[in-house]
Formats: sequence, C-alpha cells, structure tokens
Amino acid sequence: MKKVNALILTGFGLNCDTETAHAFELAGATSHRVHINALISGKVALEDFHILALGGGFSWGDDHGAGVIEALKLKNHIGRALLTFVDQGKLIIGICNGFQALVNLGLLPGLDRDYTRRSVSITFNDCGNFRDQWVHLAANTQSPCVFTKNMETVDYPIRHGEGKVIADPQIIDTLLAGNQVVFQYADAAGVPAKGAFPLNPNGSLEDIAGICDPTGKIFGLMPHPEAYTHVTNHPDWTRRAQVLKRAGKSLDQEMTIGVKLFKNGVDHIKDAFFK
Amino acid sequence: MISCIEIALKQELKDAEASSLIKKARSYFGIKIQSARCIHIVTIESDLDGHQLEKVKDDIFTNPVSQVSSLTPLDIDFHWCIWVGFRPGVKDNPGATAMEAIKDHLGKSFGPGEGIYTSKRYCLKGDTLVRGDVEKLASELLSNSIIQQFKVFSQGEWDKTIGADVKPAKVVLDHTPCFEVVSIDSDAQLAEISDQRNLALNPRDIPVIRAYFLDPTVLASRKTMGLSQPTDIELEYISQARSDHCNHNTFRGIFRYTDADTGQEIVENSLFKTYIQEPTLKLKSEKDWVVSVLWDNAGVGRFDGDTNYVVTGETHNSPSNMEAYGGAITGIVGVYRDPMGTGLGSKLFMGSFGYCVGDINYNGPLRPPLHPRRLLDGVIEGVKDGGNKSGVPTTFGQTLFHPGYMGKSLVFVTALGIMPSQVKGRPSHEKKTSPGELIVMSGGRVGKDGIHGVTASSESYSEHTPAGHVQIGDPYTQKKMQDFLLICRDEGLIPFITDNGGGGLSSSIGESAMISNGCVVWLDKVPLKYEGLDMWEIWISESQERMTIAVKPEHLDRFMALSAEHEVESTVIGEYTDTGKLHIKYKEETCAYVDMDLLDKGFPSWEFDAIWRSPETRGLTEPVIGSPANFNPLVLKLLERPNISSKEWIMRQYDHEVQGGSVIKPLVGVKHNIPSDASVTRPVLTSQKGLAFSQSLLPWYSQIDAFHMMTCTIDEAVRRLIAVGGNFNHIGGLDNFCWPNIGFDPKKNPDGKFKAAQLVRACRALKYACETYEIPLLSGKDSMYVDGHLEGDCGERMKVSALETVQFSATSVIEDVSKCVSMDPKVAGDLVYVLGTTANELGASEYYESFHKIGLNVPHVDFEKNKVVYRALQRTIENELVASCHAVARGGLAVHLSYMTLAGGMGLDIHLSDLPMDRRRGELLNDTLLFSESAGRFIVTIAPENKGVFEKWVKGMAANCVGSVTQDHDHLKIFGLDREAVLDLSMTELDHAFNKTFGDMI
Repeated sequence: MKKVNALILTGFGLNCDTETAHAFELAGATSHRVHINALISGKVALEDFHILALGGGFSWGDDHGAGVIEALKLKNHIGRALLTFVDQGKLIIGICNGFQALVNLGLLPGLDRDYTRRSVSITFNDCGNFRDQWVHLAANTQSPCVFTKNMETVDYPIRHGEGKVIADPQIIDTLLAGNQVVFQYADAAGVPAKGAFPLNPNGSLEDIAGICDPTGKIFGLMPHPEAYTHVTNHPDWTRRAQVLKRAGKSLDQEMTIGVKLFKNGVDHIKDAFFK
Repeated sequence: MISCIEIALKQELKDAEASSLIKKARSYFGIKIQSARCIHIVTIESDLDGHQLEKVKDDIFTNPVSQVSSLTPLDIDFHWCIWVGFRPGVKDNPGATAMEAIKDHLGKSFGPGEGIYTSKRYCLKGDTLVRGDVEKLASELLSNSIIQQFKVFSQGEWDKTIGADVKPAKVVLDHTPCFEVVSIDSDAQLAEISDQRNLALNPRDIPVIRAYFLDPTVLASRKTMGLSQPTDIELEYISQARSDHCNHNTFRGIFRYTDADTGQEIVENSLFKTYIQEPTLKLKSEKDWVVSVLWDNAGVGRFDGDTNYVVTGETHNSPSNMEAYGGAITGIVGVYRDPMGTGLGSKLFMGSFGYCVGDINYNGPLRPPLHPRRLLDGVIEGVKDGGNKSGVPTTFGQTLFHPGYMGKSLVFVTALGIMPSQVKGRPSHEKKTSPGELIVMSGGRVGKDGIHGVTASSESYSEHTPAGHVQIGDPYTQKKMQDFLLICRDEGLIPFITDNGGGGLSSSIGESAMISNGCVVWLDKVPLKYEGLDMWEIWISESQERMTIAVKPEHLDRFMALSAEHEVESTVIGEYTDTGKLHIKYKEETCAYVDMDLLDKGFPSWEFDAIWRSPETRGLTEPVIGSPANFNPLVLKLLERPNISSKEWIMRQYDHEVQGGSVIKPLVGVKHNIPSDASVTRPVLTSQKGLAFSQSLLPWYSQIDAFHMMTCTIDEAVRRLIAVGGNFNHIGGLDNFCWPNIGFDPKKNPDGKFKAAQLVRACRALKYACETYEIPLLSGKDSMYVDGHLEGDCGERMKVSALETVQFSATSVIEDVSKCVSMDPKVAGDLVYVLGTTANELGASEYYESFHKIGLNVPHVDFEKNKVVYRALQRTIENELVASCHAVARGGLAVHLSYMTLAGGMGLDIHLSDLPMDRRRGELLNDTLLFSESAGRFIVTIAPENKGVFEKWVKGMAANCVGSVTQDHDHLKIFGLDREAVLDLSMTELDHAFNKTFGDMI
C-alpha cells in the first residue's frame, strides 16, 4: 500500500508542527516536518508530497500582520510549485497562522480559481486580546471541503489574537453561496453564534471559523483540530467519562474528531491518487 | 535616506487596540476619549529607491483588505496625537523582522548605518481632552520612559507633511574599544574602584582579590602575557562570579541564629548544604527516578524508560518593576533557555507563572516606579508574548495581591522540558567540555544590554545613548534557535551547552571552562549589535537569546550548515583548553589571564545575625470576632476579594494547550472558568503518561511564622498534585525564595535579624517537609532583596518590604492520564467527603485579612498523618472510585465548596457537623469550620455505590461523608454544628460574586 505523504512546515517561529505531524500519523499518513528553507533550497521537493500543512504559530513573530511574511516568503520562492501542487489536485490545509498565511498568499478563498488575489483578511479579535478557548463549530454539510466530510458539529480550541475573518460584503456573500464557508462558530447545539461573544470568540463576520477554495481541496481554519488528537484533550472529558461510567460505558478511546479531520484528507488522497 | 511608512486599519473597521486605550483611559484615569485610531509607523533608513519603497509598503506592510498606508503621514483627524517610539538600543523585534522580510523580498542586504525602526502614533478625539490628560496617557499608559520616548501634538501643532518626524532610534557610540589596568595598591583603593565601576565587590572579598594579584607566582605568570595589575575585565569577571545572583552567598552564608525566647544560639554554616543539598542527595540515592540535581541549569527526573523531564524556575523581579512588559517577557524567554541548556538540551513543553503585586486599585500617597495596575497589565502581556510566541503552553499560574508587593512585585516564571534519556547512546543529562573543542555562541548579538542592571537607570540620556539596562526578550529569535539546537543535539553535535543569562559570557564560559580546565576566548569575534563596546562590556553583557555551545572541530561544518538553514547566527569565539587559565584576547592582545581556580582561593562566607522571637512574644493574639449572624453576604464578600475571585482573564490570554498534550487544563468546570488544582500534560504524544504540575504561594502565613508558611506551602502543592491523580511516590520539588533584605543595619534595615531568622526557619521547614513527603528538590533559586523605597507625598522615602515568600512548585508523573480527576462534581446523588481535620487555624487567613486582622493560630501541618491519607486517596483515584477531588486552600471550606459548586454546575448540601474536627488548637464554631485554612484537607465526591469500598480505603483516617451533590436545587447549602441552616447561596449569586471584581477584564 502506498503511503500518503504529508509535509508540515517548520521554522521561523511556527510551532504546532509536532502535534500536526502526530495527527497526520494517527490519520494514516506519513508525516514529514520540513523547514521552510529546505523547501526553498530544493533540499526537499514539494512535488514528493500529497498534503501540505501550514500549521499554527507565530511566523516571523506575526509582527507585521499574522502570516504576512510567511506568505510572502513562500510566494517569492516556491509560489510556482504551490500553484502546480494545487493544479494536481493535492491538498493544502492552513491552521491558525497557516490559515492567515493562505489568505495572504491568495490561495484562499481562490474565487474564480484565482489563487493569487488577497480578498479576505484575518484581523485582530474584537475582544482586543489573544484568547485560548474551546469553541463549538457547525460544519457546513454542503461544503465541497474534503476535510470535513461527514462532520456536523465539532469542538476544537481557538488560540489566537488575530482570528476575525473579514472581507467585502460581496465576497462574503459569494463564499456563503458557494458553500466555501466550512466552519461557523456556534452554540453547543450547532446553531451559529450570530456574533455573540464568547461563542464567536473574535467577532468574525458570519461567525466564519474556516473556509475552503471552490474545489474544497484548500482549507483554512482558525481552530486547532491537531489539539484534539486524544480524548483527554477535550475540556469536558473527565465529566463525560464519569457520566458514561455510571451507564456502564466508557469514553470512546477511538479516533477523536480532531484526527477525523486529518483522516478525511488522507482518505481523499487515497481515493484520488491510489485507486 | 530616511522614509516612514504609516499603516492603519481602514476607517470602517474596528480598531481593537484603540478601543482598549479608550477603555483604560476611562477606567484608570477617568479621561474620556470619544474615538481613537492607532497608526503603525515603519521608519526605514536605507538606500531604497521610491519604487522599492512602494513595493515593500504594498507587499509587506499593507493588507489590501483591511489596511491603508502611505509614505507620507496618513490624514486621520484628531484633537491630539501621541507618538511613541523606542529609545535607541532597545530591542525592536518588529524592526528586526521587517528587515528580514525586506532582505528576502528585495534581495537586498543592509549595510552599516542602515536599519528599520518601528513606532506608533495614536490619534485621539475628545472635546474635553487637554494637554495634561494627553501627556498623562502618553507617559503612564502608552510609554515607559525607561525604554520609550513620546511626543504629543495638538491639532494646531501638527504639520501634515512632516507628521511625527520620526528619526531612527539608532545607537551611535563614538568610542574605540579598550581595556584598563586597575591599580590595587590598597584595599581602600580597590574598594573605591569597586564603587566607581559598580562592581559591588564585597569588602571582605577585596583582600583575597588583592592577595591573588599580588602573589609573585601569579605576577610572573601574568607577565608572560604582558599583564601586571588586574584589568577591568578580570575584576568584572570576579564581580560577576562572586555576586549573590551567581554564587548564592546568602544561602551559603553563616547564620548565627538565636531564639530570643529561650536564649539558645545555633550556628548554621550553610542553609543550602544543610537544608537543600543534603536531603536532596539522600533522596536521590533512594529514588531511582531522580536523574540529575543541584548542578545543571535545571533538575532532571525520569518520565519513562526513554525520556526524562527537566524543570526549573526563577524570578525576574527588579527589571519587571522598572519595565513590566520588558522585564516579564525577558523573564519567561530567559527561563526557557535553562531547560534548553540542561544536559545536552531539552525541548520546552510547558511553563507557568506566579505574580505577586500590590493593590491594583491603590490610590494612596506612595509612588512606586509603576502603579500596581499598570505593572500587572505589563507583566501579563510580557509573559503572554514570551510564552505564546515560544510555542510553549502556559498550563498553570497564580496571581496574588498584597500591599507589601508594592515595594517590589514578584514575577515567578517556571519552565519544563523533555528530552530523550539517551542521545547517540550516551546519557543526555551528562555534558562536558574538553580541550580542543570550540566555543560557539549562537542566537542573538551582543549590545550594552543588562550591564550592571539597574544602576544605569540613574544616568542621563542623550539622543543616541542605549537604554541597555532594561531588555525586551525576543521569543522569535529564540524559537528559531531552539528548533536548530534540538536537531544538533539529535545529530550528536553538542557535547556541552549552557545559556547566557546573568553574567553573560563571563558566567557561561567561565563556568563551562572549569570542566575542561581552561579556555582562550577571542572577544573581537563576538558579533555585536553596534560597534564601540569595551572588552569588559562584551564579556559581561546580558544580551538575551544566546547559548554557549562546545563543538568539536570535526563537527563544525555540519553545525554551521544547520545554523545557516535555520537562519540562526552562530560564531566561533574561542576554544576550550586544559591550561588551567581563563585567557581572554582581543585581536592579538591579552586582556585577561587568570587561574581557573581563582574563585576557590578562600573567599570568605557571608555572615548574618538571626534573632527569632515567637509570635506570642511579638504580641500576636487571636482577634476577638464574634460569630457572624449572616453568613451569606460574608461568603459573597470573600468571593469578591481579589485573591479569591476569578482571574480567568489572565489565563485566557495564554495558550495553554499548544503541543497537543493538554489533559487537565488550568481552568476547569462546566463553564471552564474555575482554577484547577494542578495541570496535567502529556509531553510525549504517543504515551498515556502525564506530567502533573502544581504551585503554591501562601506568603500571608509569614506574618506569623515563616516556618509554617513553608510547611503549608509545600503541603498545598503536594495536595494539588494528588487531587488530579498525582503519584505520591514521585514528587519533585522546586523552591523559589523571595525574601526581603536580611542584612541587619540599625538605620536602613532594623528588622534584618528577624527576617534572617525567618529565612532560617523556612529552610528548616523545607528540609522537614521534603524529608517526610520524600520530595527531592530538583531545582531552586533565590531572590534576596524584595524591598522598595517608595516616595511619598512630601518627598519622604518609605521602605516597603514584600512578605517573606516562597513559591513551591511540584511535579509528578502519572502512569495513565485516563485516570486523572478534575475538581468539578459530576453526577447528582454523589456523596461529598471531606478528608483531613479542620482545626481552629484562622491565623493569617483570608477571613481574618478581610477584617484587617492577622491573628496567631497559623495552620500547622501534620506530615506523618497526612501522608497516610494522601497515599490512600491516591489508591482510590487509581482504582477509579473518585468522581471529583479538590484540595482545600486559601479561604477555607466556604470558598472551596463555592468553587466546587460553580465547577459542577449542581447544588451541594453540606453538614459542618459531620466534618472531621480537631479541637486541640481551640474552639470550633460554624465560622471557624467555614473559614479555617487547616492544611491536609480535600473535598472529594464519589458515586454512592462506591461508598463501601471508598470507606474501606480511608478507614481509621479523618475522612467523613459530609453531604451530597444534588440536582434538586442549584445552591450551595451549608448546615451548621446544630444542623441549622447557616448558608444558602444560589449558583447565580456565587457566580456573580466570583466574577464581580475582574469579570469584565479580557
């Protein structure tokens, strides 16, 4: 059986690479943590991989807008390779800082398959501060996004100071109409937060937590699925375990909804490339 | 050419930074701003042409969706404009990354004289604003004169074409580097030089230093290098090495301890050896999980068969009191270098904080360098940026308020790392330097940072004088360095590594060269931030983000290639030798040549007089407070008190789950807003094992007796670990002492002898507690001068001392994290137990403090009895009998039952009459039972069907069922000794009180 190769970027202040690599491994892929400069120098070739993950962190300290310099560096040095990667139908996921980089690269939202135009911005939280908080997300079941197949509501943590998704109203409308809005901040029942803090932790327009390109193969989200790879990551796990125990059951030790997201991507590659 | 790019958010977008300014201006100073906008300014001094400037403006500095920008001042309307920029030499992190971005984008290199500087201006609108208000905001909210400068413009003063007229904040030192030879003809002369040069040499060290340099053999040896009398760099080296910071002279000093009540006198020869080293080494020999203690940058314990964990903690008090943000970020980023420099280097996997500050609403006459409110804001933000940008989760932290900390606030930072136990078949906790290995400095460059600490603050500034004494940590540079060094470690390229912190190269090379027994250092090779530093400045500069590494010559190429790939600067600056000499050269000239064993040449110990008077002798008594008639408002009042109420807003700003190993979070309960007893983290993602971590701070008890402060603090830290599922057989300790000055002076420090006695007693308690609970001290630090001299209304200076404080941190390894327990009651119908006896121990309690009383009955810890209970409780948790568990701490049962009610989101019915009680220390009434802070207690809930088994485990111990969890109501209902209703508070009332004080902070 061929292996799905996932490349997780490292270096320059990025920091969620270890757990993102772990999540891909649990999802059945082979993970490779690769320094941005190793891609640029050609020591590692992007074409050898099926999935590219731009993970969380503070690239270049986020000093001039989150993900801005990372995007510029990638565009300047491997911009063409990235577009080829997209053309080949391979997958790109950007989480938190990586999502910020994807919108600054223009890979998202990729309207009209223009993968260079910056039309969405992810800016400072309305609350005015960095925030670590678990959120409920409602997944758009109509979305073409390959990563969220069969998902309805999920819980992941957000950990950012700049997570408010903004764009011109017509862009937002286009994203909604094209089901490119993949995740929305919601209440426990999956009803969108309608901007209410802290359910919507950053003031994102239309409660947008994640978007994909029209093909569903490029996906960016502010919450961290890679932070939920073990049942004990969820803030309510001790309570859930206790309640289940009284019913003679135990907490499901199988795949968390965090790993599921990565597995959807890995399975898509298997279907598209290995069959 | 100098160009300025101004960047702002588009007018229609919310400016969160400006909103925060408006809010703080109103709540801190009552100044009303109607609207505000913030403009970021990038000042570029370079040869970029107009086209290039446009390109970097548009491509790097402007987001087309959200921002507008211009190479001329943006035309944003205001009544007043405040410009704030850094002083020269202050670390400008965004300036540095801007330079990196431009280099990459344009393929341009920056030459000498070129640079990028960032600053901000704030456009304020408000009809009622006057210059005085605006200057107040500029100086007391938006800038700190130590590191920043500001300008205020009225509408009329503003020139739309030149704007804020920002000049590059660059350092220009018109100085040719040199070293000086110092005459030491007499002790008095050397003492005078020590004063002039801020060497802070101890008078008793001076004859030893002179004797060394006047020794004929030494003179003859030095003559071969062209030296005679000592050079300034040599004296600086000795001064650094002999400082209390590096040498821990206080803890190694001689204490003459007299008990004034009995007249008994005891001489303590070294608190460190007697109370820390001896018990820890004994425990190390008994416990095979203890891997490495007492010599390296951090202690090492075993995590599992293949992995070890590393722990250390320190304080960064003085700098944080001058510049809270800079001090705190430098503190957290600095302590993170310790695990990186332990053994062959570990990977950081968690950190924690402890803040002790004055009353944040203080409005009295004293003027601390920073108001406690502002100080806390800055400290929180510094640790936020430092921790979050390091990619290390901050999983635990406490904030404590007491007026004594207005004299000096305390900022504790703790760091834990993880490393494979073997690297290339060799134990990773061992390291050494060998002759022939190269000395490499990696990371940041060297400037005048941190030289001689705060003494520089009294010097006057010129436009280009570096503000070197307060630093700003750079987590970005350090993160790149850590990524790089971990790869070097795994490739076996590092035989020795240590960090550059206090004392800079002087400490890191001075100490590491003792192992190989010599070194030669080429100071002219050290990369500098700017030219013009003297040799001694390069040698002792505390510029941050640097590690010193030994590299074998055959590995140098590979090491340098990896360094280049990670864009980390690494430079060979010397070589380890076995000549027995510390040999420092600058180009071809020798500027220091001393024996490596110079520091063993009989330097005298420090000496202290310590006089103890018991609390009774000092006149402390229990206050006379009759039993309250109405407990409901009293408990709500306690929940509103700053030390009890929610500090959720602080923890939320810290990424507490990056790296993916979070098991028990710092905030727990149905609403995720109640502080957890401890945190649990899985540092190895493929393992079910977890690392439990807790900290305690109970300095209030020092007001009665620091002995009991210490015992209670350790007991609480241990209970917190047990409460989440910790293993009593594996508890690692970390002691961080912060003590006011103990050196007696009849005028300046009249109570020094008492404070010295308190220190001795705390150390005795430390040993006693560690021996009975079997806690090796994996690491520890001390900060000895936590006093301030604050100016009052009439120009008088008042000494304000912090409480004698110890932050005790504890670690434990949990075999299977799926058995961990959180504090929230989970199922209605569960039974509530209290383990441990409640006694009349309200001395220095939160309850007494709420009436401005201290009292006498400080809690005593019965270690022998407690450990039986803790072991039993551990078994019940391991056997999954416990649904929730919580250690009772500050505020007593009333407060902690309130926390549990809030955490569970369900009602509790509790009967005080069923509590395990101990009447030996006095009468027990409902108020005593509710508010006593007796140690050794837990609140536990269990399923009713586990009653029999649970009670079997705790048979014969102080453990009673005191009530139940209920869904019939959502109140905390407490019934008294006569089973009468004494307290009935709804969830809403409890929640409101708990969040009242800080609930609107974000």
